[in-house]
Amino acid sequence: MSQKCNDAQGRLYQYLDAELDESTFTSVRSHLDDCSGCFDSFDFERRLKIVIRNHLSEDMPESLEEKVKALIREESA
Amino acid sequence: MADQADFERDALQYSRQLYSAAMRMARNPADAEDLVQETYLKAYRAYHTFQEGTNLKAWLYRILTNTYINKYRKESRRPNEVDLGDVEDLYLYRRLGSEDTAEVSRTTEDRVLDGLVESDIKAAVEELPENFRLPVLLADLEGFSYKEIAEILDIPIGTVMSRLHRGRKAMQKRLWEFASKRGLLPEDAERP
Repeated sequence: MSQKCNDAQGRLYQYLDAELDESTFTSVRSHLDDCSGCFDSFDFERRLKIVIRNHLSEDMPESLEEKVKALIREESA
Repeated sequence: MADQADFERDALQYSRQLYSAAMRMARNPADAEDLVQETYLKAYRAYHTFQEGTNLKAWLYRILTNTYINKYRKESRRPNEVDLGDVEDLYLYRRLGSEDTAEVSRTTEDRVLDGLVESDIKAAVEELPENFRLPVLLADLEGFSYKEIAEILDIPIGTVMSRLHRGRKAMQKRLWEFASKRGLLPEDAERP
């Protein structure tokens, strides 16, 4: 792993979370174009993040929204 | 009352998302429902102080988070500020490679990413200590920015980043255990 790889890996989450400033983002992205090892690990992390997100949502019980509305109306009555 | 109609229109659109977050916090439907109801009631009571242009979604999450912390911290016997052991970067990814080449095949990646089931992912998040679980939920379930998470949880951005980083790595370690249990890993990667 080169120094460039280390730099890119140290910014992995900020890159995936879209938290880098434009010039840093561009420099990480251009490293990923040049380095298939880093590209592959970033891509795995990106896909894992999507899998995690997709599996964390929950179906809300239909009655809950009505209960909340009733509470609010009771409060403002 | 104009307030009430505005509030219902603007705030209730987030109820499904708040419920998902509440489920991962409280870990059971009855408490999650209570949390969401309490959050909306508090938000409604404070709605007159709400400034136009403020981030309503982040404000609701702040109330949800504080409600959760105040309500369950007292009842919980688990210490709040638990530390996580040190887990290396790319924990899961590094364990998918073959012993000889360290190369990760796309097939192995797909098998693991497709083979982890909903209960694995939920358990991996829910088992995180609270100070790591909340930033992970806000970032990975809700897509809040680091700055928003810092405001919601009242902690510095640097703390958000380090807890997020360490929480995600700890989750990966747990996911690796689930993947191993489900036989999703290449054979030579199953050794710890």
